[in-house]
Amino acid sequence: MNAMEMIKLTKTYGKNRGIQNITLAVEEGDIFGYLGPNGAGKSTSIRCMLGMISAASGEAYMLGSRVGERHFVEVLNRVGYMPSEAHFYPSMRAGDVIKYAARLRGMDCEKEAKRLCQVLEVNCNKKIRELSLGNRKKVSIVCALQHKPDLVILDEPTSGLDPLMQEAFFELLMERNREGMTCFLSSHVLSEVKRYCRHVGILREGELVKVDTVENLTRTRLHALRKIKIYGVAEVPQIEGISEIAQWDDALTFSYQGEMTDLLRALQGQKVKDLLISEPSLEEVFMYFYQ
Amino acid sequence: MSLFWQECKMNFKTMLVWALCVGGVCLGCLLLYDSLGESVEGMSDIFANMGAFSEALGMDRVSIGTLEGYYAVEISMLLSLGGALYGAMLGAGLVAKEEEGKTYEFLNAMPLGRARILAQKYGAFVALLAVFHGICICLILFGFAWMGSMPAMGNFATYHGAACLMCIEIGTICFLLSVLCRKRPVGAAVGIAVMLYMMDLMCRVVPALDKVKYLTPFCYSNAADIFSGGEKSEWLWGIGLGAVVLGAALGMSFVIYKRKDLM
Repeated sequence: MNAMEMIKLTKTYGKNRGIQNITLAVEEGDIFGYLGPNGAGKSTSIRCMLGMISAASGEAYMLGSRVGERHFVEVLNRVGYMPSEAHFYPSMRAGDVIKYAARLRGMDCEKEAKRLCQVLEVNCNKKIRELSLGNRKKVSIVCALQHKPDLVILDEPTSGLDPLMQEAFFELLMERNREGMTCFLSSHVLSEVKRYCRHVGILREGELVKVDTVENLTRTRLHALRKIKIYGVAEVPQIEGISEIAQWDDALTFSYQGEMTDLLRALQGQKVKDLLISEPSLEEVFMYFYQ
Repeated sequence: MSLFWQECKMNFKTMLVWALCVGGVCLGCLLLYDSLGESVEGMSDIFANMGAFSEALGMDRVSIGTLEGYYAVEISMLLSLGGALYGAMLGAGLVAKEEEGKTYEFLNAMPLGRARILAQKYGAFVALLAVFHGICICLILFGFAWMGSMPAMGNFATYHGAACLMCIEIGTICFLLSVLCRKRPVGAAVGIAVMLYMMDLMCRVVPALDKVKYLTPFCYSNAADIFSGGEKSEWLWGIGLGAVVLGAALGMSFVIYKRKDLM
């Protein structure tokens, strides 16, 4: 069963582009990375999913319930959401915000909230107006996870968090994911998507250009683009598909997109000391879709 | 009801300050009545014969020579205007503050639904206005008791009920404005309250505008009319039209908020 589904979802803001014809499904238990630069439409898609903005056309489903339907509100009790900008009521204390979020859900989350606050080192006595972005993000994480949701939607969750907190945060996510929680992670930090996500959707100018596993994207896509490093050879092989050539001392590096047998044939007879062939990084895949 | 209580809590201090200021000024004016002494009686005759101005302020119907008349003509005006301003500002802030402060994402990700969010906010608005009037009434009654002359309780209760309804009506119009805006429309809210008050004064001074007076809620919450036992049917017309405006503004708030894109 799909935890989240968008079918031809479109949203425009007057003449401005929002998202166009997005069709996407996130399976239960998956950790899905939603990639795209600023303004690509990530937050718009998420807000459509949560019913905060209404789509111009298309359908959206969350945990089996159609967004905007009468009983959709009940589904939100099984969903955690962490917005990209963690804004709360400035005069409230962090601890009060966390309790208030639990009360709005009609749940007693005290035990879990306490544990999360300990792990993330949240200072519950400080007022929201006194907290930095990173500390407000931590409060937001606790609010999104304290009720043990079946699905969590995270919009750029790590911006503002220090590396130690990022690590602690992803450990919490992985722990919950092992218990069955689905995770939808919107980000433009490719390293965290590559490290933690199983599937990735790449958004460009409001359109979904690619959905695949991280593994497939980096291994089989781009018509087998490979990074080649050859030691002992100074001349670039005279075959098609070679780009980004660079030469340092004894090593020649370039990108190669083509049949490997053609490259090996071109290198025959040359004094190759060493040959390194590597897959492109997710960054390179991402850039490929953006160029 | 968590949202209801939270809104009450967040707005309680401001409400208390307004209630103590408005109620305190009313109390102070009541306590000053004796110090005005015999000059009030002389002023009463002069004020009653100032033509349209006397009519506008109700001084031709109620004498400020008595404490009750002085309250109906002078002090009630402070309460009505102060209450209307507070109601307008409260109503204007309740919904728009969420988008202005970007807290709508936190609130709307909760399993409440927009109708419940709006209902609880509106409930808090009515409750806060009721407490505001409760505090003011207590302070005013204390003033009357201190002066040793209680007003006719039937008229007093009718006036305060009407004044509370007037504040709710103006506040509801501003609540609708708050649903429409992405930033707190405080300036517009104050403008609406003052404009409706001025409109009431104008309608009382200019005979040609007589029928327009029903458009402003100050027409049915005029203490001088109530304490002088004015035309009942006119008063009921005003109340009825006020209830219609209130209902329409509230209904529109719900319809618009349910469809609004929050961003």
